[in-house]
Amino acid sequence: MLGGTLALLATLTAGQLGDCVEEDEQGRQFLVCFDPGNGIELGLSAAERGGLTPALDAGLLLRTERESVSKEGTLWFNEHRILSARAEPSEDRPLLEATLYQGVFRRHIAEGFILVPTPRPIRLPFPFDIAIAVTAGRYERRPFEGAGFTLETARAALLLDPVRSPTRRVHLSFGPAISHAVRYDGQEAAHELSPLTSGMVDLGLETEDGWWTLRLTGLAGWVFAPGAEGFFRARADAKVERLVLAVNDHPVSATARVSAALADAGVGRNTEWAASLGLTLRLFGR
Amino acid sequence: MASTALALASLLALSQSPEAPLDAPLRQEPVPEPAPAEEAPPPRSLRPRLEPLADPLPVMRWDAPVMCGYLEPTRAVPSGHFRVQCDERTKLCLAAPTNVLGPDGVETPVPLSRARECTQLYREAWAAELRAGYRFVPAIADSPPGWVRDERGRVMQVNFDLNRRIYLGGAYAPSLSRQETTDRVRADFGIEVEFPSSTEPSVGRLHMLEAELLLGANSAIEGTLARYDWSVAREVPLLWITTFVGKPTRHDLTLDIAGWFEALRLESINRGGLRWQSFLTLGAANLTVDLWHSKDLVSYVRLRGGPALELDTRAGITAIKPVAAVEGDLTLDRDGFHHLRFSALGEKLLFEPEVAGRVRNPQRLKLRAGYELILLAINDYPLTLVADARGAWRDDLPGVLPGWELGAEAGLRFSFWAPARRSAPLQAAP
Repeated sequence: MLGGTLALLATLTAGQLGDCVEEDEQGRQFLVCFDPGNGIELGLSAAERGGLTPALDAGLLLRTERESVSKEGTLWFNEHRILSARAEPSEDRPLLEATLYQGVFRRHIAEGFILVPTPRPIRLPFPFDIAIAVTAGRYERRPFEGAGFTLETARAALLLDPVRSPTRRVHLSFGPAISHAVRYDGQEAAHELSPLTSGMVDLGLETEDGWWTLRLTGLAGWVFAPGAEGFFRARADAKVERLVLAVNDHPVSATARVSAALADAGVGRNTEWAASLGLTLRLFGR
Repeated sequence: MASTALALASLLALSQSPEAPLDAPLRQEPVPEPAPAEEAPPPRSLRPRLEPLADPLPVMRWDAPVMCGYLEPTRAVPSGHFRVQCDERTKLCLAAPTNVLGPDGVETPVPLSRARECTQLYREAWAAELRAGYRFVPAIADSPPGWVRDERGRVMQVNFDLNRRIYLGGAYAPSLSRQETTDRVRADFGIEVEFPSSTEPSVGRLHMLEAELLLGANSAIEGTLARYDWSVAREVPLLWITTFVGKPTRHDLTLDIAGWFEALRLESINRGGLRWQSFLTLGAANLTVDLWHSKDLVSYVRLRGGPALELDTRAGITAIKPVAAVEGDLTLDRDGFHHLRFSALGEKLLFEPEVAGRVRNPQRLKLRAGYELILLAINDYPLTLVADARGAWRDDLPGVLPGWELGAEAGLRFSFWAPARRSAPLQAAP
């Protein structure tokens, strides 16, 4: 599967580089623009999470753009993040986070509208693109908390995007989310459900050349645990990247990241924040 | 209409203008949609004039050939570039702008979407049109089945297939049991795919990752990994009976037997403040017999029955579960706006070890009837009102007295995908 995905990445990136290639005085060519949504991402950073620790990130990114099949004439901008993981091998507070799949699918339409199905259909303006964000299999393990783990089995959010960008470089989406998670403390599993009682926001900004990237995601809302009172939890993550160099045309960016969790970190539903600064290599990120 | 177009093309070829040599070829070149103005527009003297607007505007047909060419410019269409569909019999050509009109009624650079490819006609052909006495009247451009186009040329979907969708919904879902009403909310998600067979009159239905969360005092979670079933219209009757009283007459008995399969269905419920009880159906294989189905096999009323294997995750025991059901799924209108679904399902657990606090061979009876109505569509995705009523009787919960539990739900559901139905009609003139 990985081989097939790499081949797809290579195919997607080949032949689209015309304006992104520059030539020096010696006639040597090199890339000067990149796609931060594609490639194999490898990151190394220093993180502060109640103490300084190294952090490693990895993941497979794939971004596609296609015409809608059922609604021909409109575009789908799709972002996939496959097998992403972050490890903080701290001595006293080690952490592992891994997500099987994350995807954001946005359908762009030139002129959004609400159709009221009267005998002569009425068309009302609706200034939003519609998107859906899904997450499957987000695993969080903190050995210092004991034998337990947290597993968000699935999350789906229905999002509106008022920016309605005709490119994949910009999006701002928000909307309700539904999710199920299990917190296992080593003895008992507690199920947590958020039946559209959470809200999600997802902001992505990139320069056309891919040198600068900003990504902000947030999730907040009420979660219900069977047999217990519902509670409010929130989580946010912001990341800024600036391209600093490229190795064999594979971009390396300086990355600054801040994340925070309110009653949502680890098995103990802790409140915490973290920040990190490092470098990210994106293989095939063209 | 196809023959009309051919006749029209012949006519055009035979009646070239004096300015054009007789042997000049009729220039008709297929161009991709939208048809761009690739050549300089012909002079005004060679362009037909568009008649005044009619109310309501006629609609061009999706299933007839369309040409693109230049008419006299109008206030709304300064470029004069139009899609044209002609009828040889009436000598009438319907003409619609090739681009969408803006809020001010003037054409924009945005080409029409979901319009058919058109054949570009150049100046010689238009001159011939004029001499042949064709009239050109404003019209609404063609749109595919299940879609309509407004006067500005914007297209929108008005026919939806809710059997092909990815949905996400929420509802208020109170329940009533033992004279006690409890508040609950429901969230649901699912993927539905329906596909006809290319080789026989049959329709398959695949449901994936369907999940329903009922949260409140009487909480419940239901989720199914995958379910597949199909309906078939047998062409050969199972048996036929010929009667010989009077004139011999043949009576066919057709039995449309098909299948229904399910893998990994979880039902977790919490009643009486006790711990959660979970039943995992590992697999089920049922036969279905259609009592009635629509001609396109999309709607049906049927009997279903067969065995399943169920795991009680709390007790750690497995039982055989015979199932019998009467169920129906009816699409009530042509455009897929009204749906009625109902089922009456009986289950019994057999060959299970004794479980403390409950009877041997417990049973469940589940009744359900629901209605789904498309309220509106947002960016061509339908938003539906869902209302249903449920009743369940069961004696399979240890420590819980058997009895009826009733529920009612009303909420909204948003569906992605939802293409036009395969039977969707073409747009008619308003």
